Amino acid sequence: MANAIEIRGLTKYYGRRRGVIDIDVAVGEGEVFGFLGPNGAGKTTTIRMLLGFIRPTAGRATILGLDAWRDAPTVHRRLAYLSGEPYFLGELTAGQLLDYAAELRGLERGAWRSLAERLELDPTVRLRALSHGSRQKVGVAQLFMGREPLLVMDEPTTGLDPLMQRVFLALVAEARAAGRTVFLSSHNLPEVERSCDRVAIIREGRLFDVRTVQGLLGEHWRSVNLVLGTPPAAGTFGLPNVELLASTGRDVHLMVRGDIKPLLQRIAALDVRDVAIATPDIEDVFLGFYNGEAGAVAEATPAVGETRR
Amino acid sequence: MIAPALRLELRRSRALVGGLVLVVVGYGGFMAAFYPTLAKNTAALDEYLKILPREFLVAFGMEGSLADPGVFFTTYVGSWLWPIVAAIAAIVLATRVSAADTDRGWIELPLATPLSRTRYLLIAIAVQAIALALLAVAAVAAVVGVGAISGAGFDAGRFFLVTPLAFAFACTIAAVTTLLGVVTMSRGAASGAVAGGLIAMYLLDIVAKIEPSLDALGALSAFRYFRPTPIIDRGEFPFGDLALFSVVAVAAWAASLWAFRRRDLIA
Repeated sequence: MANAIEIRGLTKYYGRRRGVIDIDVAVGEGEVFGFLGPNGAGKTTTIRMLLGFIRPTAGRATILGLDAWRDAPTVHRRLAYLSGEPYFLGELTAGQLLDYAAELRGLERGAWRSLAERLELDPTVRLRALSHGSRQKVGVAQLFMGREPLLVMDEPTTGLDPLMQRVFLALVAEARAAGRTVFLSSHNLPEVERSCDRVAIIREGRLFDVRTVQGLLGEHWRSVNLVLGTPPAAGTFGLPNVELLASTGRDVHLMVRGDIKPLLQRIAALDVRDVAIATPDIEDVFLGFYNGEAGAVAEATPAVGETRR
Repeated sequence: MIAPALRLELRRSRALVGGLVLVVVGYGGFMAAFYPTLAKNTAALDEYLKILPREFLVAFGMEGSLADPGVFFTTYVGSWLWPIVAAIAAIVLATRVSAADTDRGWIELPLATPLSRTRYLLIAIAVQAIALALLAVAAVAAVVGVGAISGAGFDAGRFFLVTPLAFAFACTIAAVTTLLGVVTMSRGAASGAVAGGLIAMYLLDIVAKIEPSLDALGALSAFRYFRPTPIIDRGEFPFGDLALFSVVAVAAWAASLWAFRRRDLIA
């Protein structure tokens, strides 16, 4: 699989102020890639360098084989972008704005109509009269209305209600199915968890980790609560990745890390009355990273362009 | 992709240009309507002006009789209305696409498309030129048109010869503002610097006229090179002044394009 995005040693300083430092990431074609980090971590700076809006202090970013800074107008023929804080001219209607964006991208006027219907967006309303969420819908419609092979989005679901977030995730899934590459910056962790193949975690301007979402979640601890028909025999749960936290007769509380299959095979042989497995969501994992508990996360399966620091 | 961007920039400019056209037409027309009255009462008016300090008269371009069409135009339009209107239009338009749109985040939408930075700024410059040309024509046409109705007897040909010079003067302000807007990416800083610079040059021009020993300083003022009176009264077109404004304007716009292609788009 070729790389849609290659970032090598990308560094940006605003005077003395840190933007990002020595970022290395590769995103494969057709991949949905999440870029996670808290506010101020350097997500938007990285995206602006990918778009050629700002010039790297050092390093290089290439998009579909072209230099993101030097070849920006050519690169822009092959991508669609949604800014983190899109500003739209209030005097335009949503439809006029979308037609303007469509014409600039060489698309037909009205290319956005089916998307507007899906997003329940009224194109006749002036943008100044729209709520923040509705303006975000305009941005989402603008993003998905073309057929560019790469979609770059910065905090795309900010302000969208849960229903529209679901529509957004469906659109991302459709883009993936169509072979388009998605680079999605977010601090909305469930959104990343549901939509991305891999994630990069950025902290204080530096890339902290890149791994598959499955790897990120799968290698984490899970809580397993069992209610059995009869108390288990000693050593029933004696597996290297299982820790018995509590066993009070028929009630058993276990913690399992990594592959859960061997434990499930043991459980299947028992007289199970009830079972509850609590999977940590990505938020737990993410907070773990930021609380310095990254060591709890084991090595993930290597994937395209994966790096680990 | 140029056409939609040009259409939108023109649309964004129409309220400003429309409002300023109303101002120049209203004020210029009003003054032209009064010109026959001024001309009939020249003697009394000249007596009245004698009691005013020379510095005051110089400051407003009243260097001669107000019954003289060139002095009349320079007094009421050339040294007063036009610099203000041109500066407002130039500053608002020239700081919009670079500094203001970057600050608001609007610039990211068009510049994330195949539209290059150079074309984007060129479109903005074209819109500045179109708007300033419209305003220059409107300012002169209002005086000439209403003058014709009121029987002022203006020489329309000579009045319209002022238009290219007024246009070039305004374009110089716009081009320098564009450059400052691109360099600073701050609408406030660019506008303040240009407005302050214009006021300083206006005062410098007056001081140089009042005090002959400081005459050389007047050469630093743009107002020294925007003189409608000789064009209207004697039909002498200042090709040198026009060329000077044109060179400064083209150089500043070219420098803006060069800088805009290379700089970070962050406010």
